[in-house]
Amino acid sequence: MSGKEEKEVEISIRDVGVAFCDNAGNHVQALTGVNLDIYKGEFVALLGPSGCGKTTLLRSVCDLQEVTEGEIRISGKTPGEIRLEQKFGFVFQQPVLLSWRTVKKNVELPLEIMYYSKADRSKRADEMLQMVGLSDFADHYPGQLSGGMQQRANIARAFGLRPDILLMDEPFSALDEFTKEKLHMDLLQIWSETNKTILFVTHNIQEAVLLSDRVCVLSPHPGRLSAVVDIDLPRDRTLEMKETAHFNELVSKVRNSFEGGSV
Amino acid sequence: MKQRIMALSRKKWFSMAVWIFALVCVWEIGASVVAGTKRSPENILPHLYQIAVAAFSPEPVSAGMSAAAVVLTSAGATLLRALLGFACGTVLGFALALLMQLSGIVEKLVFPYLMLIQLIPVLGLAPIILSITGDINQSRIVIAAVLSFYPVAANTLAGFQSVEKEKYDLMYTYAARKSVIYKKILIPSAIPYFFTGLKIAAPMAVTASILVDTLQGDGGLGCMLSQSLKHAMSIYVFWLIVFFSAFIGIFSGYLMGRLELLVSPEKRKPRKAQKRKGN
Ligand SMILES: Nc1ncnc2c1ncn2[C@@H]1O[C@H](COP(=O)(O)OP(=O)(O)OP(=O)(O)O)[C@@H](O)[C@H]1O
Ligand SMILES: [Mg+2]
Repeated sequence: MSGKEEKEVEISIRDVGVAFCDNAGNHVQALTGVNLDIYKGEFVALLGPSGCGKTTLLRSVCDLQEVTEGEIRISGKTPGEIRLEQKFGFVFQQPVLLSWRTVKKNVELPLEIMYYSKADRSKRADEMLQMVGLSDFADHYPGQLSGGMQQRANIARAFGLRPDILLMDEPFSALDEFTKEKLHMDLLQIWSETNKTILFVTHNIQEAVLLSDRVCVLSPHPGRLSAVVDIDLPRDRTLEMKETAHFNELVSKVRNSFEGGSV
Repeated sequence: MKQRIMALSRKKWFSMAVWIFALVCVWEIGASVVAGTKRSPENILPHLYQIAVAAFSPEPVSAGMSAAAVVLTSAGATLLRALLGFACGTVLGFALALLMQLSGIVEKLVFPYLMLIQLIPVLGLAPIILSITGDINQSRIVIAAVLSFYPVAANTLAGFQSVEKEKYDLMYTYAARKSVIYKKILIPSAIPYFFTGLKIAAPMAVTASILVDTLQGDGGLGCMLSQSLKHAMSIYVFWLIVFFSAFIGIFSGYLMGRLELLVSPEKRKPRKAQKRKGN
């Protein structure tokens, strides 16, 4: 990213709070007073321990969750309006695959809904399956795949859609180290080619630092944004960067920004 | 040796063979006891070979037809109606489930009372339907439809309601239209439940049709059944019909299972490479 003045705010989160009422009628404040501007084409990581409201924030951005305080604007519109323009892609924490469709047909699902031609769908799905290493399993059903393979199919489906705003909820946490590293690079590749905005939830500090432009650190009880760390590693990130001193400095900086110490 | 038996017992045909063998044994023991104690044992429990002989004997039992011919011609009349009724009941049941899913009001208004239809005994319902339609064939269709309707509707509705929140969330992020959600998520999710309904309904439609037959002397399996019981023709016709209807009932359920595999390829067992260890 060059020069701050060129950046255009895409997602603006203002004083956002989300409260739930659980079954016992208790009031649970999942998020409070979150302020964040996300720029167009930016890669933002949301980092925090379990239960600090990462998923809730992500769901609020794409209109799956109503905010109870403050507001979220995306290019001046409400999340609901943006959703109706079909600009979101969401990778859920759990792979939500349709058991009666083959892996390839699952990847094609959003493309079908958005009226892509049959040839386009097939081509796109093949590319994506190739990328996540599931080409050989294109005609299998989700029930025949391992958990990690299902999650890769889930990721392929979201990548294939190439949404303007890609929201990913711990997409890689179920994967083995090798697959994860490959997909990190693939994700960055896709992102740099398409220049879309990515909001990426994780509780892995290294992952957040390696991938993102900014790491937003959330703290629990109640969930709030406690720090934002700029990651000034050069773009065209490589796995080797993980070995550099600067990388480790940034990791420490993020770790120290957690209130009450480590995650 | 023990391993062999264990491996064998896992095979589907093996357990079926054991069951059939056990049933035949019990039957034959019963038949022998009855034969030794009663005066006309064939009315109570004949030997299986006697029934088999009756099935293949060319001797006419009624209007110049052999026992097998009587069973098959009357089966045609009954089963065709059972099938028609089953088809109507299935279509209506699915449509109603869809309607109940689409509208909460319809569900609240209709669903609790649907069960009532199920609670009315067919024996009571059949004469009423017969007097309304005035035609035995139409009554067979209507009764078979009424009976297949409920299991299909109830199961399909359960299928619609089994769809998890996550799938709705996914479709919501795509801003998919309602019709798309039905086509791509709800209906495919309901298919296994729909087939459960069909597997229950198919034998019921057959039974219902046979019951309706007994109301009038116009042919059909049920009619022959009661005539045979009243000794208007050989008692073996009765036994043949018992076996034949049992077979048709089981077969109809089996057929639904095959149909399901045809519709849902993901349920087919993946053909595993056969592991065979010599021992
Ligand atoms: N639908 C809900 N109803 C009631 N409470 C909820 C609901 N969803 C989330 N919460 C509460 O909000 C808080 C934040 O939940 P959230 O799922 O956003 O956490 P998270 O940061 O994504 O955690 P994890 O890393 O474990 O996924 C939790 O305390 C949770 O109990
Ligand atoms: Mg979460």
